[in-house]
Amino acid sequence: MKYFAGIDIGSTAIKVALINENKELIGHKISASGSMFYKYAKQSLKDMLNELSIDTNDLVYTVSTGYGRKLFKEADENISEITANALGARAAAGDKCNIKTIINIGGQDSKAISLDEDGNVVNFAMNDRCAAGTGKFLDVVAMNLELEVDELGEYHFKSSGTPLAINSTCAVFAESEIIGLLGNDNSVEDIVAGVHYSIAKRIIKLVKRVGIKDSIYFDGGPALNQGLVHAIENELSKKIFIPEFPQITTSFGAAILAHESYQYERDVK
Amino acid sequence: MIHEHKIESPKEKQNRHKAMEAISMLEKLKHDFKEPPKAMDYFYNLYEDVHCKQKPLHADKVKVGTMCIQVPAEITHALDAVQIRLCNGFYTDDEIGSDLLPSKSCPLVKATVGQFASNNFSDKPDIIISPTTCDQKAKSGAIIEDMGFDIYDMEFPRTKESEESREYWRRSVRKFTKELSNNLGKKLTRKKLKESIKKIGYAQTLYHRLNSLRKNAHSPLLGVDMFLVTNAFFFDKIDAWIPAVEALASECEQRVKDGTDAARKISPRIVYTGSPPIFPNLKIPYLIEQSDAIIVADETCSSNRMFNDMVSVDEWFLYDMVDSVADRYLKGCTCPIFTKNDDRKRRIIDLVREYKADGVVYQAFAGCQVYEMEQRSVLEAMEKEGIPIIYLESDYSPSHLGQLTTRIEAFVESLKNRKRKAK
Repeated sequence: MKYFAGIDIGSTAIKVALINENKELIGHKISASGSMFYKYAKQSLKDMLNELSIDTNDLVYTVSTGYGRKLFKEADENISEITANALGARAAAGDKCNIKTIINIGGQDSKAISLDEDGNVVNFAMNDRCAAGTGKFLDVVAMNLELEVDELGEYHFKSSGTPLAINSTCAVFAESEIIGLLGNDNSVEDIVAGVHYSIAKRIIKLVKRVGIKDSIYFDGGPALNQGLVHAIENELSKKIFIPEFPQITTSFGAAILAHESYQYERDVK
Repeated sequence: MIHEHKIESPKEKQNRHKAMEAISMLEKLKHDFKEPPKAMDYFYNLYEDVHCKQKPLHADKVKVGTMCIQVPAEITHALDAVQIRLCNGFYTDDEIGSDLLPSKSCPLVKATVGQFASNNFSDKPDIIISPTTCDQKAKSGAIIEDMGFDIYDMEFPRTKESEESREYWRRSVRKFTKELSNNLGKKLTRKKLKESIKKIGYAQTLYHRLNSLRKNAHSPLLGVDMFLVTNAFFFDKIDAWIPAVEALASECEQRVKDGTDAARKISPRIVYTGSPPIFPNLKIPYLIEQSDAIIVADETCSSNRMFNDMVSVDEWFLYDMVDSVADRYLKGCTCPIFTKNDDRKRRIIDLVREYKADGVVYQAFAGCQVYEMEQRSVLEAMEKEGIPIIYLESDYSPSHLGQLTTRIEAFVESLKNRKRKAK
């Protein structure tokens, strides 16, 4: 059996996905990017193969993507995370949903991607400012509120008052807004809901730039936060599709491309 | 754990957006300044009830919605109806209205039309009176009528000096009185109108009692809080508003005796003029006072202009009273829709003198053409009097405050320097 790997080197985490000849997801691994992307990425790939007891020689093609993709020299090819995300989302949703719009919230950026009927990228938009409304932002919020980031969803659904909006577009200023709200004895639940709605509104603006179509896919680590999912659905007034493993869509897409590239190289004379 | 949740209806979504806007502003007003008077709690709670909880205040009453300040409340009240001013300060509604009106329209008009488009009111008006004041408001009346609302166009002249315009407007008010009376099936009596004039007159007296406390070297009340008090007159029950303002005025009188200053000694004193700040769009007043200045008086239709001039009756006969009511709404009006507007300049200068202000902030909504056009002549008039003035343009958008903040801070700092030198 031959295997194909996709490796997504992001600002916060390295995501590795492995597929087989039938394009089935065999395994994945998520580890922190740390300070030495290259070293950790190599280690992560090796660890995954070990865990799955797959011989390194059976891994025939590797595609890297993400912010640190060019630092990973072992890759046979590298592609932008936009293309990889689109490929991964279409494949992850499969027959369940014909994805036309993708929302991705990463560690340090957020994107909206619009696809045509056949899954080609027709337009995309990225946040052009800073960390506000990204995964990093949620980390900072959780830290300020003395919560774990995976508790944010629970708190969101416990909010019973008016969500308290965060108006600053800057993560640093937003932090002081949150501290101010806490100081005035507001409930943590209402602040969490407010943060989610503020991020949701910002992301919806991005989606509007590429055009809101039906069948919306949401991925990236923050898609694990059901409170944020709820806020985005309310802002869009639409249900959105959350994949089983929202963090690895892009690496999965890279693995799919690895498979396609390998076949192309082999078949085309 | 998977949370089952249903998606909000458009109305729930709009209400949440508005609640979030409202609570953000209230939080700032309550906590970002020195401790406000206790009696302000009534107003903070009122805004929270109406805008965060959508609590109706006039469920059992016939509601007359108005699109501008010129509809005589004395008449409406005398016909046992409540008058609710629909001029809207919500960015949520402004965004909805933006899809229906040209992009360069005034945000207040867009927000008002946006609210009608979404047909979402905690106190839904039974009939809407649209005075033909500025172009955008006059045309909006027709757009709202097309949405299926019951609109009455109340004709309003664009000059105020001539005898013709006075007579034209008196006729317009008489016609309005008759039509509203027929529409509501109520007869206007001399007794009722006299009571109504007295009651609104008392509300105006109370406003002046509270407002004149701001003449003190240590103003007991911030401008942002005063805007909340006056804005509440748009929609609150008059019988609840009156005791709330009485309590606030008494408390502020005590604060004056105690020397309690809502700001600081060095804080420059500002007269605010221009497009009306309407809750929750109090961002410019908020930025001014956050920059360590204090608004001591204003010349705006969402505050001072509603209370400044009272009905002056010669003879307490029904038709004389109706004409006197009409005069109050034309002669006292300093709106820039009029061909020329020396009254407005005079009033600003008077306010600066009476309230010992250090400078004037002139704010126009981007898209509010008449305020934008009148800016130059007001600036010249102030310069002639040696009164520092800054002109700002803004809209309802909550972001991009950085540049505005810098300009306001620089203006306030320059006033502080003058103050220090002049001591």
